[in-house]
Amino acid sequence: MMPSARSRLLVPGLLILSFLSLLLSSAVGSVAMGFTDWIAALQQPDSALGEVVWRLRLPRAWAAWMVGGLLALSGCLMQVLLRNPLADPYILGVSGGAAFMTLLGMTVGVAAALLPVMTLAGALFSIILVFSLARGEGPWSGTRLLLTGVVTASGWAALISLILAIGPDNSLRGMLFWLLGDLSHAQPGIAPAAVLAAVFVLVTVLARSLNVLAMGETTARLLGEETDRLLWLVYLLASLLTAAAVFIAGSVGFVGLIVPHLSRMLVGSDHRVLVPAATLFGGCFLVISDTLARTLLAPRQLPVGVVTAVLGVPLFLLLLNRARLKS
Amino acid sequence: MTALSCQALDVSIAGIRVANALDLELAPGELWGLLGPNGVGKTTLLKCLAGLTPADRGAIRIGENPLAGMTRREVAQRLGMLQQHTVYLFDSSALQIALTGRHPHLKRWDRESADDVRYAESALQAVDLDGFAERGVTSLSGGEARRLAFAALLVQDPQVLLLDEPTNHLDLRHQLQIMEIASALVADARRTALAALHDVNLAARFCSHVLMLFGDGAWQAGPCAEMLGRDALERLYGCRVEVVETAAGPRFHPVSAERPSAAWLSRKP
Repeated sequence: MMPSARSRLLVPGLLILSFLSLLLSSAVGSVAMGFTDWIAALQQPDSALGEVVWRLRLPRAWAAWMVGGLLALSGCLMQVLLRNPLADPYILGVSGGAAFMTLLGMTVGVAAALLPVMTLAGALFSIILVFSLARGEGPWSGTRLLLTGVVTASGWAALISLILAIGPDNSLRGMLFWLLGDLSHAQPGIAPAAVLAAVFVLVTVLARSLNVLAMGETTARLLGEETDRLLWLVYLLASLLTAAAVFIAGSVGFVGLIVPHLSRMLVGSDHRVLVPAATLFGGCFLVISDTLARTLLAPRQLPVGVVTAVLGVPLFLLLLNRARLKS
Repeated sequence: MTALSCQALDVSIAGIRVANALDLELAPGELWGLLGPNGVGKTTLLKCLAGLTPADRGAIRIGENPLAGMTRREVAQRLGMLQQHTVYLFDSSALQIALTGRHPHLKRWDRESADDVRYAESALQAVDLDGFAERGVTSLSGGEARRLAFAALLVQDPQVLLLDEPTNHLDLRHQLQIMEIASALVADARRTALAALHDVNLAARFCSHVLMLFGDGAWQAGPCAEMLGRDALERLYGCRVEVVETAAGPRFHPVSAERPSAAWLSRKP
């Protein structure tokens, strides 16, 4: 499929936008900084302002970029996996398991350093639980996976509500921030970056297979795909991406649902273009959202999940409306 | 040499027998019609022959190769199927959908070549969808979506074509068009096709052979001239059939249904 001129320009454009959004994020914040101060700070990492830029803002912006990319890519995969435009990275319960374990950790007072471990354990446990319950003996069934995942997610949601109801008052705020998605304690780390890079490469290799998979399981088999294997692989990859994102920033909402859709509206459904476009777009979107989250009411910080929804909902509705008018 | 064959094939679905000990040999240059009443298992048989669902017993071969030992990719390079329903959930251009026919022929890293694109465009043209190349597929009408799926099958260009009600949703002109393309592929390119049809006259006009499924696993197969007659069709469909001889051969008119519909129509309100 020949990419159209627009999609050929979009990927380099989004790369540049990613870079600019990271720069912007390093320039603004609760510590006021003029343009020349900022340039100086970028050049001198050891100065006081340099510390702010290099130790605080850039790592956080980079973490935001990764979370956005992870969630957008995961959303693309989930939508193909379930052939459901409403699918998002959290629909099959990965974030629910992670959230339950994290909140449990907060309630019993686990050391802050151990919380991410609990998060990851919860996410992985939920992935394996849904996988083994939904797999069964027979052939692939998207409905069975969807129902197993959605019901598991509801189970986690109930347990989360239970913790919120009986948990100590002084930790409720932290819990709420985690549930909404928050990057203020985010550390980028090497592992999530490795997950994003590895899965991205693998998905790029699989892109044409995803195109035929999006046309339905039977069509994909008739066009030469061993769909059982491919679908479980897609499930595991999408879940792993979600786990990595949740590990960094809690369950940031909305990015994984709307960025894949917005990207589809912009570049179409060819995953060879869609996958890089959505990943880059997700990164930019979350960096900008997080920059707003820490500056709008500075020095107070908002959970980034609130900003993604406040920005994303009108943007999405606007584009959806325009797309309908066009056709 | 046969393109598609099966020996002693037992096929069933949900406890209903579709075919008992089916022996078929479809040779290149033959266009087969698959006839039978609703629910008799035409789609099930086609899916089974495509390797999508397992048979209870028996063997299927594509050319010389047992289907059971082939990967999906190897099957897709030799056999393609037009499914009964075509639903596009994500919006792609018609050209992209047509190009998916190249998927089984391309290596993992390959992109479609300019030749592939030209070939896909000519396939769209063959089914009157030229000018639709950039059109989003979710806005196509039922008949257009159907022709697009057929175009993708043409791009796939398999040795064996299984067509599940290829004329579904199509207007008269396009019914003929699809059958003429299939007929030309079979005759000129020595392909083999098996098409489930409800229109006996399309079968009489275009097919060289027919396979009739009577229900409960009973079947008959052979050249049209021997198979298509009043008795066989009345048994097949459970309605009276009139034969009209034309210059192009016999044509068939359903006269009246003898089934319980008469009782239903005369019921007391």
